[in-house]
Amino acid sequence: MSVRVEAEVIHLTGRCLAEDAEALLVALHEGPERSVDLAGAQRLHLAVVQLLLAARPPIRGVANNSVLPVHVVNLLQ
Amino acid sequence: MDELLEQFLIEGRDLVAQAAADFDVLARDPGNAAAIDSAFRAIHTLKGSVGIFPMGPAERVLHAAEEVLERARKGGALDAGAVAGLIACLDAVDHWIDEIEQAGALSPDAEQVAAAAMARLPGHSDTAPVAAAEEVPGWLALLGARERAVIEAADAALIAFRYTPDADCFFRGEDPLAVAGDVPELLALAVLPADGAWPTVDALEPFACFSVLEGVSAAPAEAVRAAFRMMPDQIAIHRIDPAAQAETEAAETGTRAATTLRVDAARVDALADGLGELVVAVNAFAPLVAQADAIDRALAASIRAVQADIERVAGDLHRSVSAVRLVPLAPTLRRLPRLAREIAAGLGKPLDFIVSGEGLEVDKQIADGLFEPLLHLVRNAIDHGLEDAATRKAAGKPAQGRVTLSASRDGDAILVTLEDDGAGIDPDRIRAAAVARGLLGEEAAAQLSDAAALRLIFAPGFSTAAQVTEVSGRGVGMDAVQAAVERLRGTIDIASEPGKGTRFRLRLPANALTTRLLVVEVGADRYGVALDQIVETVRIDSNALMPIGGGSACVLRGRTVPVLSLASLLGSADRPAATAKLLVTRTGGERVALRVDGFAERIDTLVRPSSGILAGVPGVTGSTLLGDGSVLLVLDLPALAA
Repeated sequence: MSVRVEAEVIHLTGRCLAEDAEALLVALHEGPERSVDLAGAQRLHLAVVQLLLAARPPIRGVANNSVLPVHVVNLLQ
Repeated sequence: MDELLEQFLIEGRDLVAQAAADFDVLARDPGNAAAIDSAFRAIHTLKGSVGIFPMGPAERVLHAAEEVLERARKGGALDAGAVAGLIACLDAVDHWIDEIEQAGALSPDAEQVAAAAMARLPGHSDTAPVAAAEEVPGWLALLGARERAVIEAADAALIAFRYTPDADCFFRGEDPLAVAGDVPELLALAVLPADGAWPTVDALEPFACFSVLEGVSAAPAEAVRAAFRMMPDQIAIHRIDPAAQAETEAAETGTRAATTLRVDAARVDALADGLGELVVAVNAFAPLVAQADAIDRALAASIRAVQADIERVAGDLHRSVSAVRLVPLAPTLRRLPRLAREIAAGLGKPLDFIVSGEGLEVDKQIADGLFEPLLHLVRNAIDHGLEDAATRKAAGKPAQGRVTLSASRDGDAILVTLEDDGAGIDPDRIRAAAVARGLLGEEAAAQLSDAAALRLIFAPGFSTAAQVTEVSGRGVGMDAVQAAVERLRGTIDIASEPGKGTRFRLRLPANALTTRLLVVEVGADRYGVALDQIVETVRIDSNALMPIGGGSACVLRGRTVPVLSLASLLGSADRPAATAKLLVTRTGGERVALRVDGFAERIDTLVRPSSGILAGVPGVTGSTLLGDGSVLLVLDLPALAA
């Protein structure tokens, strides 16, 4: 389970695969005001990244994520 | 303003104007090869220039338009729909140039506008365009702009790649981001929407790949290609050579510099000012010659010869500087069709807007000052002049309203005519509206000729629009149009036929640099009057003046013209004379004669606008320095006679 909603914040944790895109989309759909926390994410599949780029929710936890490759961090900042 | 941006605003608009003119030709003759060629070049160059600025959507739109033109060049036919699509693309880009000037960035809806404009182009598919082998593909130019910092920081050639994964690659377990992320020596990576704009959240399909990935790598091309060995058909690889790019740019600038020189207008103005002073200084020779004549005739003759030489040279110089200031009217006029289309679309009125005479050259001041009043007139013509489609059909007219803007030269003046085939203006309605608004009494209104009644629309605060619309605002503004035209020392006439349409005609001086003045005498004083304000000068027997009411009038060419005494208007005593000397001018569309005591010389001079205590004096436009150092006040005849 890598998509978790807590107090209007969507936490993406661990390895986020293509399958997680649907859960993320549902979570964004249910709460368009929700922000997304990537502090615990280890890997982001393009399916997830393109969703974040298209929906543009407020994103946090990218800067202090030491696991994501630098170019992915650049994309989301 | 940033110098680069300033340059772009000028050149970008020139290119838009060029392409617009070509599209205009193509709209009538879609097979015109010369126009296709010319439009292609303009669009291609424009695409290159927008790449420097944050105008991604503009670049994509231009790229799509360029492809359509490229196909047409190779023998594919353009049709009316294609030309309409091209015009829509150009309009969008023109609008974005305005946005870049005003806000420094495109509005958030730019992507949608771009997608909509591109969708109107024939054969436009949502997939990324396949670039010709030799040509620099559009994406590369965009990438170059986006990753400028990375590319400029590199000291060797870089490899740019664009990876277009197919939509169902996720089902095969692929992660394009991981693939691109594994490219060796990756310097930059971007994930972009595949069809120009990201879908909205509601339209998102979580398992479809709708992205393309573009990146820059410092590794050799083979190494980059190797990273994509599993999907060779989805990858485009290009070499970016920063040095080569700089070289081409320099070469392009070099050729341009050889043909034209862009000079700050203020410098030309300073040159013109200095020259104006010279012309005035040369005027000082005349009294000098008169003095010398009394002492030594031979000396006087020599001075006269020198005077003639200097006058000739100053005259030549004057013509050259005037010519430098002459600019084509095209950039002013060609901005209007797009705005006219936007206005018409906003009002839901189908419009055929025709412009002619853009080739005319006028003084820069006139070209600059003409845009606002013309835009206002165009807006009014579409909003108030043209009826809606249903009313037009009922009146037996084509549903599409027609507005024609033409410019032509008439001696020293230019005529700009704006004509619509709308409902026309009913003088009785104007009279009634003016009375209702308390602008004049019922009796006075009834006495006005139809022509004079029409001119009431120029009265401040006048509006006959039954409905206040968003486009024309509250109807104020026709007075602003008149004021703007008068500032350019022009006049505006209006003619209208109910049911048939309305015509506005602006008459403006083509050269604004120095003014030709007629010096007139009033008592012991001398005043200057701009020749372009004088319709004619007449000498008539004083007995032919008929006293009417408190003033007098005379008959000129079968029409009664009121006669005013300039002396009493200026607050001095009137001197009766056997022959009345009259200056005929036009105020509010009607002829009015002003009686003066004498006509003196005509001079070419630089009129300075009134300042200081003179600024508030009505009827005085400015002053000029005479050769003997005295100051001549320049009168504004229409204002005095009004």
